Amino acid sequence: MANIHDNPNRDAWVKKIAAANTLANGVKLLTDFRAKHLSPFKTDFSLELDGQWIELKIEEKVALLKHKEFNDTQFLNNSATGENAQKVADAAVAKINATTDMYEAERIHINFRLANKPPILPVNVFLDADRQLGTKLMELRNTDYYALPLEELRKVRGVKVITLQ
Amino acid sequence: MAISTATKAATDALAVNRAPVSVGAQEVHRWLQSFTWDFDKNRTKYSTKYKMANDTKEQFKLIAKEYARMESVKDERQFGSLQDVLTRVDAANRVHPKWNESMKVISNFLEVGEYNAIAATGMLWDSATAPEQKNGYLGQVMDEIRHTNQCGYINYYFAKQGQDAAGHNDARRTRAIGPLWKGMKRVFSDGFISGDAVECSINLQLVGEACFTNPLIVAVTEWASANGDEMTPTVFLSIETDELRHMANGYQTVVSIANDEAASKYLNTDLNNAFWTQQKYFTPVLGMMFEYGSHFKVEPWVKTWNRWVYEDWGGIWIGRLGKYGVESPASLRDAKKDAYWAHHDLFLLAYALWPTGFFRLTLPTAEEAEWYEANYPGWYDMYGKVYEEWRARGCEDPSSGFLPLQWFAENNHPIYIDRVSQVPFCPSYSKGASTLRVLEYNGKKHSFSDQWGERMWLSEPERYECQNIFEQYEGRELSEVIAEGHGLRSDGKTLISQPHTNKDGKLWTLDDIKKIGCVFADPLKAL
Repeated sequence: MANIHDNPNRDAWVKKIAAANTLANGVKLLTDFRAKHLSPFKTDFSLELDGQWIELKIEEKVALLKHKEFNDTQFLNNSATGENAQKVADAAVAKINATTDMYEAERIHINFRLANKPPILPVNVFLDADRQLGTKLMELRNTDYYALPLEELRKVRGVKVITLQ
Repeated sequence: MAISTATKAATDALAVNRAPVSVGAQEVHRWLQSFTWDFDKNRTKYSTKYKMANDTKEQFKLIAKEYARMESVKDERQFGSLQDVLTRVDAANRVHPKWNESMKVISNFLEVGEYNAIAATGMLWDSATAPEQKNGYLGQVMDEIRHTNQCGYINYYFAKQGQDAAGHNDARRTRAIGPLWKGMKRVFSDGFISGDAVECSINLQLVGEACFTNPLIVAVTEWASANGDEMTPTVFLSIETDELRHMANGYQTVVSIANDEAASKYLNTDLNNAFWTQQKYFTPVLGMMFEYGSHFKVEPWVKTWNRWVYEDWGGIWIGRLGKYGVESPASLRDAKKDAYWAHHDLFLLAYALWPTGFFRLTLPTAEEAEWYEANYPGWYDMYGKVYEEWRARGCEDPSSGFLPLQWFAENNHPIYIDRVSQVPFCPSYSKGASTLRVLEYNGKKHSFSDQWGERMWLSEPERYECQNIFEQYEGRELSEVIAEGHGLRSDGKTLISQPHTNKDGKLWTLDDIKKIGCVFADPLKAL
């Protein structure tokens, strides 16, 4: 069997990554890949073993394409999608601050990470927004932590019980 | 020539605050305080739901220079003892071989904990706004750097001066396959540096250091001495002299948030989760290392645990924090049940999974079996007779073709791994409190062994996505996995880990494992 570090899954993705030759293509490849293979909400587990390695390789490529296509001002202030980075971050923070539902806050935070984790957003903008989103999510999650019995919590989370001994 | 703004500010401040006439540490500390450092408006880089008060005090009031002077004296004593007298008396070769193996685990794992504690206390430095509180955390950052070096050094010393270096050197290369590594990273890494900054402090300082360093760093010196190891007490007691500062920092973290009304909504939940996280790993692993990794016994682990975790920490230490609204964790009672049998359950599994480790394990001798039965009545019927069967089938001999892992499959006792703690458990052959819970989420199955971990996962499943070895290597043959995971000695064929410490016993090679044809299977797929 193929080695865990060197296998056909990785080889196939190395070729796909090499074919991404514009920033727009690279961004789409990265955000689609994260949503399908790395999201905590994913239903496709086919790349459980190799997903993070592949993501790293796409990120490297996007960073290089960003460096090639952006000037210094764009590099510091824009998202790789071309939008103003701070506006993207502010919109996510405003959205989470408008909710009191922990599950909605969880989706906002996770989706923000999937769509914007560097090199999509510049690190300084991303990390500060991530701090604010994380703070709000933790406040909502940890309030009345034991309010629901486990049976109810399983239902709210949407899990199927396979066995309880 | 114009002077910089910073130089001018310092000159102006010195004009108002005259330098002290003596170099007494406390006076210098008071003088530094008079500069009215203002971090109130600083914003931290890290998420936290707590507000740390700007006027929090610190108990030690040590300035960095005084700190460095004190620590250098400790280092001189410690390294002087190790390099001079202990080397001359060949101390590393006087250690009982079983204990030599235990130190491969204890010191390598503690090194990871200390390394992460550097980052954890740096994060707390960034999060606090009170100058004194920052000063306390600064002292701890420097301590943790020192401790990381000390832990690394003791493995280096054992490897260079002692017996069977494999595992003392470069243990970390086996981290993908060793079943104890991931649980250790959960407590020592994730618990200390991810999530809420104050929750990390609770994990590190309030639970890890105030609760488990007594067993981990003090009790270990008693077990080491009893088993002929003079190096470990020399180093670990030197580490322990710093731990009081860390416990005080944990105390002050709680004091700093006590006046924030919102803190009461979160504090006891975070404490309960932190305690359960830490104890879920340390209770079985420390008990296993002490009792099964030694030849000469000190006292039953359950007594040590009861004295230091249940009474000293759960009662006295947490009791002192009661005035700030802190309560003993609700999970303490369940942990107490685990302290009796969990380490026996874990050793059974650790021995079964021995080829994936980086240290040698030994089956209990007849004399040790008597000790276990005397201190844990019922031990023989559950564990002792299984070890007798394994020994009779030749589990120590490479030519036997028998791995204890096969016994679990033959007897239909699947081994699961708890998704949250990453600790292996076998619900159908266990005397501990673990119970099997399997949930499916978006088509993937997750196993848990207790209600506290299940709730932690249900509350934030994205935090616990770590794959276990059965998921990673499903369908792979064991010898392939060992080779790929760097579980071999420098000859490229002999396993680092071995199922005995007998000097004259044969060592297992990759070929011996390959002949058996053991293939990894994920037990969750069968459900």
